[in-house]
Amino acid sequence: MAKKIGVYVCECGNNIADNVDIDRIIKTISPMRDVQVIEKYRLLCSEDGKEFLKQSIKDHELTHLVVAACSPKQHEHTFMGVCMTAGLNPYLFQMANIREQCAWVTPDKEEATDKAIRQIAAAIARVAYNEALERKDIDVYPDILVIGGGISGIRATKVLASPDRRVYLVEKSSSLGGKVKGFDKLFTKMESGSVLIENELRSVEGGENVEVFTDSEVKQILGFFGNFEIKVVKKATNEERNFNVGAVVLATGFDLMDLKELPQYGYGKLEDVYTSLEFEEMNVPGGPTGGNILLKNGKPPGSVAIIHCVGREEKGYCSKVCCMYSLKFARMLKDKLPEVRVSQLYSDLCIPGKAYQKFYEETEGFGVEFIRADKTNVAQNDKGITVKYESETGSKGDLSVDMVILVPAMEAGTDTNKFAEMLGIPVDNEGFLAQEHQRLAPVASSVEGIFVAGCAQGPKNISESIVQSEAAAGKILSTLVPGRKLELEVKTSKISEPFCTGCKTCISVCPYSAISFDDFRKISVVNEALCHGCGVCAAACPSGAASVKNFAFTQIYQEVEALLK
Amino acid sequence: MKSNKNSISVLVIGAGIAGIESSLLLANSGAKVYLVEKASYFGGNVIKWEEVFPNMECATCMIAPKQQELLQNENIELLTLSQVEDVQGSVGDFTAKVKKKARYIDLEACIGCNECFEPCPVEVDNEFEERLSKRKAIYIPCAGALPNAPVIDTANCLRFKGEDCQLCQEACMFEAIDYTQQDEELELKVGALVVATGFKTFDLTQTPQYGYKKLNNVYSIIEVERICASNGPTEGQIIMQNGETPKSVAIIHCVGREEKGYCSSVCCMASIKQAHFLKNKIPGVKIAQLYSALCVPGRIYQRFYEEVKESGVDFIRATVSEVTQQGTGLAIKYKTEDGEENTLNVDMLILAPAIEPAIDSTKLAQILDIPQDEHGFFTEKEPDLDSVDTSREGVFIAGCAQSPKDVPDTVAEAEATVGRILSLSR
Repeated sequence: MAKKIGVYVCECGNNIADNVDIDRIIKTISPMRDVQVIEKYRLLCSEDGKEFLKQSIKDHELTHLVVAACSPKQHEHTFMGVCMTAGLNPYLFQMANIREQCAWVTPDKEEATDKAIRQIAAAIARVAYNEALERKDIDVYPDILVIGGGISGIRATKVLASPDRRVYLVEKSSSLGGKVKGFDKLFTKMESGSVLIENELRSVEGGENVEVFTDSEVKQILGFFGNFEIKVVKKATNEERNFNVGAVVLATGFDLMDLKELPQYGYGKLEDVYTSLEFEEMNVPGGPTGGNILLKNGKPPGSVAIIHCVGREEKGYCSKVCCMYSLKFARMLKDKLPEVRVSQLYSDLCIPGKAYQKFYEETEGFGVEFIRADKTNVAQNDKGITVKYESETGSKGDLSVDMVILVPAMEAGTDTNKFAEMLGIPVDNEGFLAQEHQRLAPVASSVEGIFVAGCAQGPKNISESIVQSEAAAGKILSTLVPGRKLELEVKTSKISEPFCTGCKTCISVCPYSAISFDDFRKISVVNEALCHGCGVCAAACPSGAASVKNFAFTQIYQEVEALLK
Repeated sequence: MKSNKNSISVLVIGAGIAGIESSLLLANSGAKVYLVEKASYFGGNVIKWEEVFPNMECATCMIAPKQQELLQNENIELLTLSQVEDVQGSVGDFTAKVKKKARYIDLEACIGCNECFEPCPVEVDNEFEERLSKRKAIYIPCAGALPNAPVIDTANCLRFKGEDCQLCQEACMFEAIDYTQQDEELELKVGALVVATGFKTFDLTQTPQYGYKKLNNVYSIIEVERICASNGPTEGQIIMQNGETPKSVAIIHCVGREEKGYCSSVCCMASIKQAHFLKNKIPGVKIAQLYSALCVPGRIYQRFYEEVKESGVDFIRATVSEVTQQGTGLAIKYKTEDGEENTLNVDMLILAPAIEPAIDSTKLAQILDIPQDEHGFFTEKEPDLDSVDTSREGVFIAGCAQSPKDVPDTVAEAEATVGRILSLSR
């Protein structure tokens, strides 16, 4: 079929007309190949302008459309809408930006006109090779898999579960509640962590729309946003369950850094040197010491040193919540042992936000000592423990104490790497799961439909973890609406079967894990439901087999050639 | 996605990054959103930044796509120049009264060509540019502001002061200027509200020891953001009041922290970012950071601090006692933790002020019947636990209106309000 390209030049009031010679454009462009009609209009984005355009597409039976006007950012959307109402596939339309890129960037009308002509010619050359693309949508499963039964996973489950949305909550240990359940007191209100967890669990456990798996492991997550196939195995019985979900929330929490790497703190060698989590355990009423703070010899300590930022330098990041829980420890000590001497050895106090400084000031008021120390060393002496310290300016000192509490850096939970690998989500230098966008998408991972909440994404306190769970729920509830279809990216990548040599380069570069290998045909295959059309595969493919729809080599070469002619 | 009858309607107050994120997600779920913004433009504080830490991404480029998406979303009604005056009812059934001030510009007709500015005979300080440049009585606050349409400032416009001036109307080719527009009172039925009114900064004249507004070349961090901005008063040229580029700069952290009684959580990073920016823009510039405690929380920020420190920026732990003029420069007297007293001489001083709740927060708290803390931040229902719920069911808070925070934490809270609202409305 012969191509009939219509070209419409917008005067944009006088914005384009004053600085670009539109009559010269029309004279130059109209004899070009396949140009059926070229006309100017005062303001194409106005209601009468859109009507004019729609009528023209029909009257001239146009097969392709070029609009020379403003930036596509401003009105591409508008004119694609006009195409649809006129019965023209909107992907057979191309904009040439002759306002921001021509009329507005030079006072020289001749040069602006020359450039406008080139840009319009390029748009014509390219649009002739554009493909008519169709929007596609898929049915979705509204159900959700939440991995990790700590405070983040519990809250995500609570917000997401509803009569039309089942939530599967999988926990690898034997009970829900995560680390928070084992904290006798939480800052700043000094309330019990186990009571908090009990309250949270009330609406989750036994809820009709929630299925809890404890002692269980997620063995498989296959598929894409809207349709993941899940396999969960009950560890003790090897009993297997398979189900489908639309999205996944990863809430796999944190672990403390292994202190074997840091011998200067004496952990594991000296008695009465504890990690923060061990000290928490000591304070739990049902714990090994019945909630009493005791030395190994069964006596309460007369003096305690709390050493902040253990492993911070090695890790290269601040674990954000340790200053606050160290202050909390000082209060727990002073509460149970009013005569105890508590020293905090810290480098910088990180107590951000509206509420924490007050807690710090109150803690200081209980008679807690704060010592600036950038380097510390813990050693045994004949009576107890000696803590030697040095500040950044070189001033030195030492303390003799009965007990040392080390505050180690927080790391992503042990399962993080397993899920990163299973899902193809990159892990950053610090070992946490990478976000879709570090500033604007804090809970979305780089794989669509997989969300990360709580400490799996970086150290955070309880309220921040809860915010993230609710944020993941917000993202899910706004897109996975029961009964509604999910619209897919139109300009996806495609891999030409005859050209593909099966080298798998594209698979290794795809940031969305959208390409897999067909072992039978020995070629790479794109999953359109996962592809975002970023074009990385097209750039990397050594044989020219991969390309993005409507950004194929022909279209780009035609465009560039016309531009440079 | 069109809004459907079964979906909830939501009133979002404040169209900064939090309000934008909440609105977009709610609208995509099918909810009808009224987004109320008191300024003539939207985008909040973030669009004032040239670049955001730690990846030094252009801030306006970062949020412009979201703004475009919002303007094109049929489910969102953006009400600029508007303020909430009354809210009655309860969750699922609120009635809100919104006063929408006249813009005197027809948003449908205006294409944002700016032809109307030049003939306007009035020149006043541009508040958006921290009064570092002038604007007309018909104006947009900065290039790239959205919606891309001006507003008439009736306090300064000659016509609204009784003179017979219509130069802007004569210059408009699209008959978009309408002096007869009236303020409107809107009554909106909504099921929930999101309060995302953001922040302002501490008034630096309350700490006279640093010489702000008394000495030359002492700036707030926000003023320097505008000076660095490519669409700002100097078009990104870093020049001081005397027209010169600084050869040495000091940045004082935590200004107002003692007075306010809390750590504003993002100022260390904002100060380090400015050092990074200035270092790249002014070859050979010497930069010193005067700080008391460095707050670079989380998995990402310390690396940025180390990188900037290694690039040759001095970090001095000290308390500043006094700043005085010395010739064309400034002398900063400080005392280190070890008690050593010293003086630092620089061309330019930048102050990092504490973050406070936005203007009119108290009035809004009364209208909404939600509590504030002693600093004026809106209080969450369960501190240390729920951050976005308030004690009034159906009214949620997000972003710096709740406590000082960075962009990702603000976005997460905005998304969390959506999680809470959409789980309510089932």
